[in-house]
Amino acid sequence: MSHIVEAKSLRKNYGNFTALDGVDLTIPRGAISGLIGPNGAGKTTTLKALIGLCDVEGELSVAGRDPRIARHKLMEDVCFIADVGILPKWLKVSQVIDYVEAVHPKFDRKKAEKFLSTTDIPANKRIKELSKGMVTQLHLALVMAIEVQLLVLDEPTIGLDIIYRKEFYDRLLNDFYDGNRTIIISTHQVEEIETLLSHLVFINKGKIVLDSLMSDLPDIYAEVLVDADRVVQADALQPIYVRELLGKKSYTFESVPREQLEFLGELHTPSVADLFVAKLKEEKHE
Amino acid sequence: MNKFAVLQFYGLLRREVLEHRNLFVGAPSVLALLILVATAWVATQIDQSQLAEGLEFVSMLFDGLSPFDMAPWIIPLAIPFYLTLYVCSVIYLINTLYQDRKEMSVLFWQSMPVSNLQTVLSKIVAIVFVAPVFYVLIMFAMYLIGMIWLTILGISNEVDLVGIGWLFLAAIVSLVLIYISAVVTSLWLLPSIGWLLLFSAFAKKTPLLWAGGVFILAGFFEDFIFGTQYLANWVASRTSDPNQYLILEFQKVFERVFNYDMFFGIMVGSILIVGAVFMRRFTD
Repeated sequence: MSHIVEAKSLRKNYGNFTALDGVDLTIPRGAISGLIGPNGAGKTTTLKALIGLCDVEGELSVAGRDPRIARHKLMEDVCFIADVGILPKWLKVSQVIDYVEAVHPKFDRKKAEKFLSTTDIPANKRIKELSKGMVTQLHLALVMAIEVQLLVLDEPTIGLDIIYRKEFYDRLLNDFYDGNRTIIISTHQVEEIETLLSHLVFINKGKIVLDSLMSDLPDIYAEVLVDADRVVQADALQPIYVRELLGKKSYTFESVPREQLEFLGELHTPSVADLFVAKLKEEKHE
Repeated sequence: MNKFAVLQFYGLLRREVLEHRNLFVGAPSVLALLILVATAWVATQIDQSQLAEGLEFVSMLFDGLSPFDMAPWIIPLAIPFYLTLYVCSVIYLINTLYQDRKEMSVLFWQSMPVSNLQTVLSKIVAIVFVAPVFYVLIMFAMYLIGMIWLTILGISNEVDLVGIGWLFLAAIVSLVLIYISAVVTSLWLLPSIGWLLLFSAFAKKTPLLWAGGVFILAGFFEDFIFGTQYLANWVASRTSDPNQYLILEFQKVFERVFNYDMFFGIMVGSILIVGAVFMRRFTD
C-alpha cells in the first residue's frame, strides 16, 4: 500500500523544549489515522509540519510533496481543520464561502451550500455570531466541498457538546470519506474515534511510541485478566503494563503469542484507550 | 497569468477590503460626513443672499478656466483625507500580518492554496492601489453632494452656474492627481511599508513598538559605533519635505517616478518585503 505521509527523523525545538524528537511516521493512503497523545506530546507540531506550517528538520513527504517547499501547492490536495477557533470571526458565512471559492481551484460551491442547507447556519451571519458547533459545521462544509486527497483534523471537536461531536464524525464518514481519501485525526478523546480508525499512531514527548494498522493490533497486543493463581506465570512473560481491575490484575502484553496467554485468564484485545495508557506507562517505566 | 490566478488575487484583495473596511471605507466616510455637516452648519450661519453673491463671484471667477490649471488650487481640500489615508495605512500595515496570528485565523488562511508571497503582495496592492480608490470615490461623492447643493442654491437664486461646472471638472481632475499622489508617495515610502510589514510578520506582541523600537535602536547603535547618522538622515530626507507627498501637475509624475532615489527606495522596500514574506513563512 502506498503512503500519503512519509516522515523520517523529524525534529523540532522551541528554545530548550523539544517538540519533535526524531519522529518516524508513515500513513497509508485511504486510511483513517488517529494521532493520539497527551497534551504537549507533539501532535499539533506534527500536523503543522505535515501541512508546511512549521519548519522541521528531517525527511518529509506529504501527497508526494515536501510541505516545506511550495506549501500553497500542497494545500490544493490537503485540507486542515484545527480546533473551532480558527475561522476569521469578522467574515460572514457567505463571505467565507466566496473567499474559498475564489482561492481554491478544487472547491465546489454547490456542494458547500447543499451541506449548509441541512444545518441551521444562516448565510448572512458573521462567524463571531455562530455557536462553536456551527463554526465547526461550517468549516466541515467548506472542507467537504473541496476535492482533496488528505484531510488533517487537529482536535476538531474540542469544546463541542456530544450531539455536535457525534454529528461531526457521522458527516465525516458518510459525506467525506470514500475509501480513497485519507483522514488524520489528532485528539486525546480516544474513545470517540476508536471505531473510525484504520490506522493508529501514539505520540509522547515528541516520539512515536506506536505506529500500526488497527487490523494488526490483535496480533501484537493482548490484555489478560489474570487469574490469581497465574500471576507468577504472567509476570514472567514481561507485560508492558499491569493494573488492578475488579480485584484481579489486568496484564497488557506486546508481541507475545496468544497461545502462551490463553491459559492465564480472560483474553481480549485491549481498547485503544487502554493500549494508550499501557504504552505511556511503559514509556515511564523504561 | 491564467484566469484563475487573476480571480484568486481578486479574492485576496476582496478579503483585505472586507477585513479592513473601517480603514478603507469607514474612516473616509466619517470624515466626509463631518465635513458635509460642518459645511451645512456654516451655511446656515450665513445670510442666503450673501451666499448667493459669493456663489456668483466664484462662478464668474472660474468660468472658462482650464480644470487642469484650477486643480492644484482644489487639492488642499483633500488634505484631511490624505492625512487620514496615511494614518490608516500605518495602522493597516503594522497589523495586517499580526492580527490573524493573534486571533489564530492564520491557520485557516494558510490552509488555503495561497502562497505567503501572494498574501503579502495582496496586502501591498490593497494599501497602495486599492485603498486610495475608496478615498477618492468618497471624496467624489462629497464633491458631488456639494455640487448638487450649490446647483440648487444657484437655481433658487438665479445665479449663472457655468463657472461652478468648470470648478466641478477641476475637482475631478484634482481627485485624479490625489490618487496618483497617493500611489507615487506609497512607492516613495516603500521602505517604510516593508519595514512595517516585516515587524507585523515578526512580532508576537506590540508590532508597532517593535518597528519603532528597532529603528531607534539601529540609529542609536549607528551613532554610538560609527559616529554617523546616515539612517536617520536618509529617513528624514524621504519623509520631511511636504512636497514629496503631493503631485500638483501631471507633467511632474514622470520625474517623480523615474529617478534614482525612487528606484533605490523601491529596492530597499522590496528587500524588506521579501523579509516579511520569509518571516510569515517561518513564524510559528
